[in-house]
Amino acid sequence: MFKDTFDKLCWLFLIVVLISTVVLIYTNIGTGSEKRAAGPSKTLERELSYRARVDLINQLYLPVENLRKEGNNQTALLKLDELIRKYPTEAHGHILQGDILQRMGAFDEAISSYVEGVKLNGDYVDTKSPLSRRAEIQKLVDGGLKDVGPRVAANPNNRSLVIARQKLNYLKSRLAGGCE
Amino acid sequence: MIRNREFWLVVLSGLSLGVLGVLLSLWGNPENSGICVSCFIENSAGALGLHDNQRMQYLRPELIGFVLGSVVSALISRDFRSRGGSAPLSRLFLGIFMIFGCAVFIGCPIKLLLRLTAGDITAVAGVVGLVVGVWVGLKGLAHGVEFAPQSQSKASGGILIPGMFILLLVFFIVRPGFLLFSSQGGGAQYAPWQVALFVGIGLGALAQRSRFCITGSIRNFLLMGLRTPALWGLLTFIVAALMVNLITGKFNFGLYGQPGAHLEYIWSFLGMGLVGWISVLIGGCPFRQLIKAGEGDVDAGLVVIGMFIGGALSQSWGIAATASGVSMYGKITILAGFALITVLSMFCRVRST
Amino acid sequence: MKIYHLMRMFIALVVFFAIAGCKTEGKRQVVKIGYMLCNSEQETSQRFLPLTKYLSDKVGVDFVMVPVDTHDFEKRFKAGEFTFTHTNSLIYIVLRENQGVQLLASEKRGKLGSRSAGAIIARKGSGIEKLADIRGKRMAFGPMLAPTGYLAEYDMMLAAGINPENDLGHYTIPPGSYKHEKLIYGVLYGMYDVAAAPVMDLENMTRDGKIAADDLVILAQSKPIPYCTFGVAKDVDPGLVKKVKDALLSLKPTDTAMIDGEQLKVMKAAWIDGYEELLDSDYDQIRDMAKRVNMPPYQKY
Repeated sequence: MFKDTFDKLCWLFLIVVLISTVVLIYTNIGTGSEKRAAGPSKTLERELSYRARVDLINQLYLPVENLRKEGNNQTALLKLDELIRKYPTEAHGHILQGDILQRMGAFDEAISSYVEGVKLNGDYVDTKSPLSRRAEIQKLVDGGLKDVGPRVAANPNNRSLVIARQKLNYLKSRLAGGCE
Repeated sequence: MIRNREFWLVVLSGLSLGVLGVLLSLWGNPENSGICVSCFIENSAGALGLHDNQRMQYLRPELIGFVLGSVVSALISRDFRSRGGSAPLSRLFLGIFMIFGCAVFIGCPIKLLLRLTAGDITAVAGVVGLVVGVWVGLKGLAHGVEFAPQSQSKASGGILIPGMFILLLVFFIVRPGFLLFSSQGGGAQYAPWQVALFVGIGLGALAQRSRFCITGSIRNFLLMGLRTPALWGLLTFIVAALMVNLITGKFNFGLYGQPGAHLEYIWSFLGMGLVGWISVLIGGCPFRQLIKAGEGDVDAGLVVIGMFIGGALSQSWGIAATASGVSMYGKITILAGFALITVLSMFCRVRST
Repeated sequence: MKIYHLMRMFIALVVFFAIAGCKTEGKRQVVKIGYMLCNSEQETSQRFLPLTKYLSDKVGVDFVMVPVDTHDFEKRFKAGEFTFTHTNSLIYIVLRENQGVQLLASEKRGKLGSRSAGAIIARKGSGIEKLADIRGKRMAFGPMLAPTGYLAEYDMMLAAGINPENDLGHYTIPPGSYKHEKLIYGVLYGMYDVAAAPVMDLENMTRDGKIAADDLVILAQSKPIPYCTFGVAKDVDPGLVKKVKDALLSLKPTDTAMIDGEQLKVMKAAWIDGYEELLDSDYDQIRDMAKRVNMPPYQKY
């Protein structure tokens, strides 16, 4: 690869390009120009928007949370209905609804709401997320499987019970983690 | 056979993959995904901004390690040879569909065994599918289905894929602003990067020396029976992973509530069947393609590029399955994959006149 | 001669095609379903006619809809006027205990699915903040055989030590149709101080914008209990029962039925979200309530 002038010129050009690259990087480190060129860190940007989203969600659903804390579950549910119709793809409403329905004793409907919420946004089963409801969902699944399991065994042809168990197993699978 | 060096290399590879596959999960990688080439590719494609699933973005150091370990090993053993020119575009597309198959099953053949040895019996459908897929691929080979032979003279780009992975390592260390990292979900679960990189390099080097590969082992077993060392490597992998899972308390036997698993057995079967069939035609599972790309195999390099495209599309287009099941797009994709490989088999078949 | 032959052939062909063109309608088995009147006969017919037609199409039997007043339901069922029943959960229990009716499927509607709850409501700002405040007040109940418009609320009051017969100023049941809506409006506009309202009606009226969630105070609310229920007489062909059950449980939002030349969405027309397979033991809560409140089928004089 050093046979003729063209080869030599190629090598020379390669060395020049490499040296220029190193010099360019070296002279620009710390000046901030590389940040300007690449724009702000996407990870930071996303983290900021995520936090803003969490704040917005908390603010949006605060009246419902307050009613729930006061024990006005039905009024909270009515308020929530408006919000779910307004933001149907926002998981938080479904998660809150699951929580309220569980408190009201509507177990099967609570499971369905949680499943809907977790399908829309898996952050609710993450330990790290500020939106995490992992402990509540875990409790629901543990209690639910204990309750539904024997009922399915006693009524194997009951489709509604089988569906309820499937939903619980879905939540169990999401709680177990994995890469998806 | 046990006096054979190759036998022990294969056994050592199987042992290392099995043990470290479980340990990586214990050290921080997602459950049952200590090593999963397809998941790692989906994560890495996301980190590079190729898809927008914010829960699946992390440049996996293991992936970089596999290729660089293979490069180092190939250079030391003078195995590094730039070669290629065998149906490059077909391989690129088959790489894409190989990842689609994995995405529908939720995992590559290595993860298939890691899931199984962790007690996830939903993976049985995948095992059967993989074996059937390899068997069908072998039947194709027996009937003259093969791509044109590679040539050293036609390929000069063998350094490109190693170069790309060196660049990815630089990106990972320097962390330029355009790189994306998940803060939630599977992408936010990872082992310490130094450990992951070191393990990746070690496994890459071992796999380069031993040529160990899950689908290759099944293929060799179907061709040669118990005489093949690859089978013992595979069995060592399974026993080692099972033991480590049992010792570390990660073993959870059952059908329901398994991490990263669904109950659509037919599609698990078909997904892995597609992976098995493609693997036979292109000479190895996703892991083996990375190793071969590290040896200077340009064709395998194109499969790797295809796998990255597949990883990105499986997330962007909603092809990847989740615990709730396989999407309609996922199902259509699998069928499209079978259509593609059938057509390719017909076109590249060498018919005896 | 030839013309005579041709004429005979022509007549024979006409007769053949006339017979071939006849519809086979009316030859199918006819089965009647008794539907408990909700707000009015017209509304009940509008809601459930598409469902009845859907069942006919699915099961291959001509189902006929029979609208039945709540108080006449048991008497007419006993007289054999209909085989399948669509009632509220309390009437189902009455029919189960007295006539051996079997549970078929439970209707899903609203947030609580196949269940609903009863609530005691007051107007916000009326000074009535808790259940104990209703003593001496004017109260309106729903119809007497309404599980979530009467039974559940009566039971909650007894549990709280309030006897509706003695401790209220007076109580009433609004006359005519749309009783539940009437009493909710009645509380909102000051006709009554408190009322027994089914949660499902509160939910529907909020959704329709008739009331706002903040307009009312919920003083007490029962546990969710099963609501509208399909039942069937005990001696009906099990094959037919299974077909009807399968048709109800497999009902989807996209399923339609042809009524007067128009394809109507069955679930939308009936205001329901589908059917679920509950166990008869799920109705035990209502049985316990009926016993405590001294209502049919456990009423003691």
